[in-house]
Amino acid sequence: MSIIEVNHLTKYYGKSRGIVDISFKVEEGEIFGFIGPNGAGKSTTIRLFLSLIYPTKGEAKIFGKDCIKFGPELRQEIGYLPSEVFYYEGMKVLDLLKYSASFFQKDCTKRMHELSDLMELDLKRRISDLSYGNKKKVGIVQGLLHQPKLIVLDEPTAGLDPLMQHKFFDLIREENKRGATVFFSSHILGEVQRLCNRVAIIKEGSIINIQDIKTLQKDNYKKVRVTADDLDEKRFKVKGVTDLEKENGSISFFYKGDINAITKLIGSRKISDLTIEDLTLEEIFMHYYE
Amino acid sequence: MNIFFRELRSNLKSLLIWSGIVFLFSVIGFSKFSAFYNNPELTAILDSMPPAVISALSMNAFNLTTVTGFFGIMILYFSLILAISAAMWGSDIISKEERDRTVEFSLTLPVTRNRVVNAKTAAAAVNCIILLLVMWGATVFGAQNFNPDNEFYAYVSIAMLAFLLLQMVFLALGIFLGCALKRYKLAGSAAIAVILVTYFTSILSGLNKDLDFLKYFTPFKYFDAATMLRDNRLEWPFVLLSAGIIIVLLIGAHIAYRRRDLYI
Repeated sequence: MSIIEVNHLTKYYGKSRGIVDISFKVEEGEIFGFIGPNGAGKSTTIRLFLSLIYPTKGEAKIFGKDCIKFGPELRQEIGYLPSEVFYYEGMKVLDLLKYSASFFQKDCTKRMHELSDLMELDLKRRISDLSYGNKKKVGIVQGLLHQPKLIVLDEPTAGLDPLMQHKFFDLIREENKRGATVFFSSHILGEVQRLCNRVAIIKEGSIINIQDIKTLQKDNYKKVRVTADDLDEKRFKVKGVTDLEKENGSISFFYKGDINAITKLIGSRKISDLTIEDLTLEEIFMHYYE
Repeated sequence: MNIFFRELRSNLKSLLIWSGIVFLFSVIGFSKFSAFYNNPELTAILDSMPPAVISALSMNAFNLTTVTGFFGIMILYFSLILAISAAMWGSDIISKEERDRTVEFSLTLPVTRNRVVNAKTAAAAVNCIILLLVMWGATVFGAQNFNPDNEFYAYVSIAMLAFLLLQMVFLALGIFLGCALKRYKLAGSAAIAVILVTYFTSILSGLNKDLDFLKYFTPFKYFDAATMLRDNRLEWPFVLLSAGIIIVLLIGAHIAYRRRDLYI
């Protein structure tokens, strides 16, 4: 049974597009990346999971159950960290966390204090006095205190300093080892690369690719840079070469295809320098969004 | 119960402010009344005023020189205060979650939307009842200087019952608007608009016999101050009508809120 199963999920806000005909599955124990620029439909998808909004068409199942019909029951086991956290301003952090914990069937007190210590949270302060980053930390504790089986993160690192980000990633990995499945939405590729096993790329409301992070990097393009005297870039206008550029006596391009073909082509000339490397996720990503 | 208690606490400030308004209003009202109390000249002045004005101020049935009569006049203003507070609380308690963008927290917890609406309705209803008790206390307290008799106490009691129904009607209206309106910013102003329209309808219906039928459309006329004084009871058809409106609005609120997208 997949932890998340999305079938032809579509959401329109009136006439404007949210997401269109999205289908994918997230298996148990995965850290699944969901990546796309602002406005691509990441938050829409997540809000559909949490039945804050209702689909126009299609369905999403979590733990095998429809996430609208069984929403409240499913949310016992879902931890959600929104991109921007908003809490009741007048409440103290501890009261808010206790309030949140009171909705879950299990006793969350111990885990709540563990997480607060880890995140160095001052429980006595009022929500309204907290900085953006500190609110985010409250969000992390609040989202994880009930030890959920599914953790849904929507651009979770915004507002956290690098040290906290590091701690946060460790925490997520730990939760994942414990058995939690993680759905990680972000527009920052580096963090997805660090954390996720698989990634879905969403663009203008549709998913354009779902792949293993490793295959995404390996099986795809190579970045080639050749330096030599009086190079003629026209020689490299062959099948599989894109983004050909010439500057300062060196030529760079992306290449997809048989690696021997391209080395033969380069080897037929005297060159002074050559690099062939994998594309960073950033570059792959840019490619999808061109 | 956790939502209920949290709402009570977060509404405390608003409740104190409204209680202050009610208390102040009573104090000012009764201090003005001390000029009318047992003053035959006032009766003469009132007699010389045009009947339409008297009717619009719903002064026709009352002897303004007695504390009972004076309270009869005050009922109109108390009704307005209670209706406004109830409708505001009702619409605000639902729509503030979207306004403050806290829906992303409060409705992603394992709760059904029905449970949220029920708990919030209960909390707002408790607020209304407390405000009503403050009003009751302030009225009885303010009347002490003017030898209130048994008739006065009986009248106040029956009026409080009418107030309670009125509050619940407008609370249900506020809850309904908060739940049903997609544009949550509209909920509060829509509630006030309905109050104003029904209030002026109630004035209209008193002006002319031909407009009498309008009384069915305005909760302010369901429990007429003069009729309550005369009969010392509420009219059953209007009690049932109020209950019906409350039930319909609350069911409507639940259905609308359950179906609607929550915006952030």
